[in-house]
Amino acid sequence: MQPHAILLAVLAAAPMLLAPPAADAADDFKIALVAPLSGRWARQGQLKKMGAEMAIAEINAQGGIKALGGARIVLREADAGDSVEKAVSAAQRALSREKISAGIGAWLSSFTLGVTEVAERLEVPWFTLSYADSITERGFKYTFQTSPVSSVQAEQALDLVVDLAKRNQQPLRKAAIVGDNTAATVFFFKPLREKLLKAKGIEIVVDEIWTPPLADATAIVQKIRSTQPDIVFYGATNFPDSIQVLQKVKEFGLKVPIQGVGAWLVTPEYVKTVGRELLDNIMTVTAAHPLKGQEELVKRFTERTGEPFMTQDPLMTYAHVWIIKEAAEMAKSADPKAIRDAVAKLDLKSGPAASTLAPGRIKYDERGRRVGAAPIIVQWQNGEPFTVVPVEYATKKPIWHGAK
Amino acid sequence: MSVSDLAQYVVTGLLVGGVYALMSIGLALIFGVMRVVNFAQGDFMMLGMYLTYFLAVVSGVDPLLGALLTIPPFFLVGVSVHRALLVRVTGGGDPQRLMDAQLILTLGLSLIITNGTTMLLTPMPRGIKTAYATQAFAVGPVLLNEARSYAFLMALVLAGVVYVFLTRTDLGKALRAAADDPEAAGYQGIDVRAMHGLAFGVGIALVAAAGGLLATYHPIEPTVAVNFIVLMFVAVVLGGLGSIPGAFAGGLLIGLVQSLTLLVLPFQLQNVGVFITFLLVLYLRPQGLFGQRLRAV
Repeated sequence: MQPHAILLAVLAAAPMLLAPPAADAADDFKIALVAPLSGRWARQGQLKKMGAEMAIAEINAQGGIKALGGARIVLREADAGDSVEKAVSAAQRALSREKISAGIGAWLSSFTLGVTEVAERLEVPWFTLSYADSITERGFKYTFQTSPVSSVQAEQALDLVVDLAKRNQQPLRKAAIVGDNTAATVFFFKPLREKLLKAKGIEIVVDEIWTPPLADATAIVQKIRSTQPDIVFYGATNFPDSIQVLQKVKEFGLKVPIQGVGAWLVTPEYVKTVGRELLDNIMTVTAAHPLKGQEELVKRFTERTGEPFMTQDPLMTYAHVWIIKEAAEMAKSADPKAIRDAVAKLDLKSGPAASTLAPGRIKYDERGRRVGAAPIIVQWQNGEPFTVVPVEYATKKPIWHGAK
Repeated sequence: MSVSDLAQYVVTGLLVGGVYALMSIGLALIFGVMRVVNFAQGDFMMLGMYLTYFLAVVSGVDPLLGALLTIPPFFLVGVSVHRALLVRVTGGGDPQRLMDAQLILTLGLSLIITNGTTMLLTPMPRGIKTAYATQAFAVGPVLLNEARSYAFLMALVLAGVVYVFLTRTDLGKALRAAADDPEAAGYQGIDVRAMHGLAFGVGIALVAAAGGLLATYHPIEPTVAVNFIVLMFVAVVLGGLGSIPGAFAGGLLIGLVQSLTLLVLPFQLQNVGVFITFLLVLYLRPQGLFGQRLRAV
């Protein structure tokens, strides 16, 4: 009988566990964060959460949302897991359980494509740092994409490396494209493969795409070794895959410049696992990275979290919470539709949200893309990632190391 | 495609396969003796990786030695898990119901271990930085990754030890007797339940050691098991359910096929070669490479 009694007790307790915590006052302003908190992208979700929590702590300490009588912001996090299905059902649960004023997520473009479908249907404004062009090509009214889209990133990253190589008298003739098939990477590689590289007279000698997880990287790196490209465009969004490739690059003694796509390539774990020698000079395009003049913000973050430096995921999520706060002040309402309309009209040129993201302006166009969003190129130098492009925000100068 | 390229693919495949092989023999042993399909096997491997990691980071133990040091504690873990949980769903009763209960139990165990580890140790990936992970022995134009070569050799030694234990010692023979015919073994005075505990303990210890070896070059995170568990099952079935040499050969074959597939198919289809081989073997030799037809009846 005993197991039955336990089962009954669990069943009886279940509604209490499922119901939202009773401690929140009715007028709390709720933001949903849907991000991978388990599975192979969990680290990125964790970093996003850190950024959101920092912004919320700051806003609440300053008296919450003033237009709503000092309403406190509370975060409702939902685990997007490691598949689109899980991300979608997490969003569905988070948005239908209680009144959510705005949402943020879901890091991986493939997840965001699914999650924004839910937000659009339930009419909740959704903010994302994901890169894929398609996220804002569907005519959605409730999706706001703060990052520059992948195709823009590809074009600018290519311009940068071509220019750097030329200035160092090592013009690019052969390129390798190596990465997984998640949406942001796909949209970054597509224009490179179809037109951009050809237009610059660069030949693609390796073009290898995989579905994560990667069983073994030897074959990829072997191909790079035997074709000797002048540059590798690199998109391994999850850490274990990426580490395997980089370890092989080191093992095979390859000295080829690596141009990554995305902020996954600048997390602190890389230093601990592959060492700074291997990382140095690797560049990556991201949507946000600490800029010149943001030392104070970074310091607050590192002291708060114990992380060695700040990267795109916490920065962008921090900015997103502030954008939502500004929109709520403008809308004077916690109603998601009113917030959405306020965001569409928003044009911030100062304050924490605007100053966090280059070029210092928060305005979304009719598609939901941020006006003027420009990619940032980050480079590892001495075991730390620095902004090297655009020059006006750079904290270091870019270094080129061609195949010698 | 030059000869040296081909040689590189073969060597890489075999080195990768060596660790798959060690992972798989633990699973094969557990299935062979207990007829339990252990879905949590990969999670014990993950725990072995973490133990090796902490030994390396906290006490400075070289991960190759650390992998061996995981064996005694994980043997005890295996025996305890058997005594506390598995014993309730094995040995006697309606086989179909037992099978269902075992599947649910091991799957549940797997979920609890993965999520418990995520809660305790955070999802942050960790890695042991070893010099040999990124160095290689050069044999002519062919490069043998040092970490994988050491892992391969240790996998061979451990598999050899298990083989000798099973074929040459009384305890090993008793274990095999309990696997072949539990009832008859019982009549011979062999404590079948104790043999099951022993098999589970050894099986878990082996996969933890394989995890330790894997940790010398593969990043560690709570969900690392999903990348390997399917391959383990394929290796075990490929080699013949329950056959130890079969699982070893199956593991090697998977590594080799994975690597050679890339010569003819694009990277995205890396595992397609593995599953085609798997289907071919099942079609032509349903009992697996080393399996005996009788056992399937």
